[in-house]
Amino acid sequence: MENFINLILEPLKELFLKFKVFVPNLLAMLVILFIGILLALIIKRVLMRFLAAINFDSWSDRMGFTKIMRKGDMWNKPSSTLGLIVFWLLIVLTLMSGLNALQIPAIDQLVSQFFSYIPRFFSAAMILIVGYLFSGFISRAVLITAANSGFHYAKLLAEAVHTLLIVLILAMIMEQLQIAPSIVLAAFSIIFGGIVIALAIAFGVGGIDAARRIIEKEAMTKREDETKDEIEHI
Amino acid sequence: MSDFYQNGIITTLHQLGKPSLERLESELLGFSKARPIALVLPSLYSEFEGPAMPGIVQELAKVKYLNEIVLVLDKASEKEFHKVREFMSPISTEIKIIHNDGKRVSEIYQTFARNGFNVGERGKGRSVWLAYGYVLARGRSDVIALHDCDIVTYSRELLARLCYPVVNQNLDYVFCKGYYSRISSKMNGRVTRLLVTPLVRSLQQLIGPHDFLAFLDSFRYPLSGEFCMTTDLARVNRIPWDWGLEVGSLAEVHRNYSPRRVCQVDIAANYDHKHQVLSADDASKGLMKMTVDICKSIFRTLASEGVVFSDGLFKSLLVSYLRQAEDTIMKYEADAAINGLQFDRHEEAMAVEAFTKAIAIATRVFMENPMTTPLIPNWNRVTSAIPGIFEMLQKAVDEDNK
Repeated sequence: MENFINLILEPLKELFLKFKVFVPNLLAMLVILFIGILLALIIKRVLMRFLAAINFDSWSDRMGFTKIMRKGDMWNKPSSTLGLIVFWLLIVLTLMSGLNALQIPAIDQLVSQFFSYIPRFFSAAMILIVGYLFSGFISRAVLITAANSGFHYAKLLAEAVHTLLIVLILAMIMEQLQIAPSIVLAAFSIIFGGIVIALAIAFGVGGIDAARRIIEKEAMTKREDETKDEIEHI
Repeated sequence: MSDFYQNGIITTLHQLGKPSLERLESELLGFSKARPIALVLPSLYSEFEGPAMPGIVQELAKVKYLNEIVLVLDKASEKEFHKVREFMSPISTEIKIIHNDGKRVSEIYQTFARNGFNVGERGKGRSVWLAYGYVLARGRSDVIALHDCDIVTYSRELLARLCYPVVNQNLDYVFCKGYYSRISSKMNGRVTRLLVTPLVRSLQQLIGPHDFLAFLDSFRYPLSGEFCMTTDLARVNRIPWDWGLEVGSLAEVHRNYSPRRVCQVDIAANYDHKHQVLSADDASKGLMKMTVDICKSIFRTLASEGVVFSDGLFKSLLVSYLRQAEDTIMKYEADAAINGLQFDRHEEAMAVEAFTKAIAIATRVFMENPMTTPLIPNWNRVTSAIPGIFEMLQKAVDEDNK
């Protein structure tokens, strides 16, 4: 009988001991969550005030970030959106730190994977921001140069350059985030290679006559120059 | 039938005989293929509950030559916006409604504000300006026609005659303003009859010959809210957001184009719309507010063209205006008598007194700060400061209309 009772009590005792060890961890997690959420709220508010002070919204309007948001049917202020993104990033970080405090091996592994992914995420974000600004600058330069050269389809050319650069940037971001890297690389190579071949064929086939005319004109000018000077110099 | 006399420095297109509306519309249909037309309708939700709008929709449903209609809806809730969409559904032309109080369009206004653009207070001027922006953003029309939404006597002939001079490429006009008489059992249109024309003539008397005054005096109804213009003009024009809208727009047209490319057209035998109260004791509302805004706009335009205003000139102006207005009353009394219209001479004299008071207020305000007349920046400047604004505006309106 005593054995039977022990059989029932032993697991309960073990459960109780495990619970005793777990409770402080749980409390630590709750404290981390509470402080984390509070900090996230404060940081969000401070960040939004800072962004308002440096006229971030107006800067976003000029740089074209607001336009991207509107294209995605997002109608908040850019500063509010950035504040919200930072807030939720901090919440995720808090949640991960809280889960880490539970000291459960399976969750520990998940958390360490998450933290090792953060640098990639930030570098992807940097590529996106710098790449977008760079593509805008290049596209504008192409537009001005082509328009000043009297090129009829200047706007179309600038938009094509912009789109190509955006595709390149997106491929770089996907590669950085390690999202199906081999497929991204293959798709990118096929698309870019295809465009280059298409352009080569278009120029090659369509420009045969033009190229012939230019070469013939060059040759003719050269011949004329050679035969022009008929005076014998002393 | 009107006379065929050409007065002033712009062209006047009269209604002679009984021109066929069918011929006009069929020609417009042909011309509009080369020069697509956008119709801009600034409106308040309350106008959809009034007597004018059902008639306007019924007439517009028969018009085939319009490329797009852009209705700017002000003072309307989300539910009312959907009601208006339903209301406009009998019209087969593509209609886009700019919901001024909607979340997306409100954000567009905030974008202007945070980039240092004062687009003014809610009103016809601001609505019209935003509609121009939307038409320019879409880039599907070359001509913009505009009329109010409170015209009780609306017929589609009004629209056809308004569009024709600008849409017909052979005529080569860039701006066309409508004119008409405003009579019921009596003569209406007090601000034009008793304020603008006498004021302009008094200024001519004091300042001497002046291009802008001659230009303004050439219009038979300078305050009419119906006009048609090319989109190029809509892009470069700065317009006031207050009651100086009509006069301010004419000033900008005068600044940017030769009078030879401007015309006025007789668009209706008679015209009736919502009447403003005089409110002689309160200069912040009614016709008094309108008068002050119009005077400020005229003074500012003249000052910008080099006219020097002084206390003495303004004092003389008040006296000169009063004399001109009194003479005008006598002319209209005779005009009313021969046409069997009621004419309350005392009421007209009271209006002139109120207008004199309003001119005095406007001169004072102008002397204190000559820059008070608010002009909304033109779209060229806005797109230069906010390069993506056209895409954002188009997206906002298109999403609202989905």
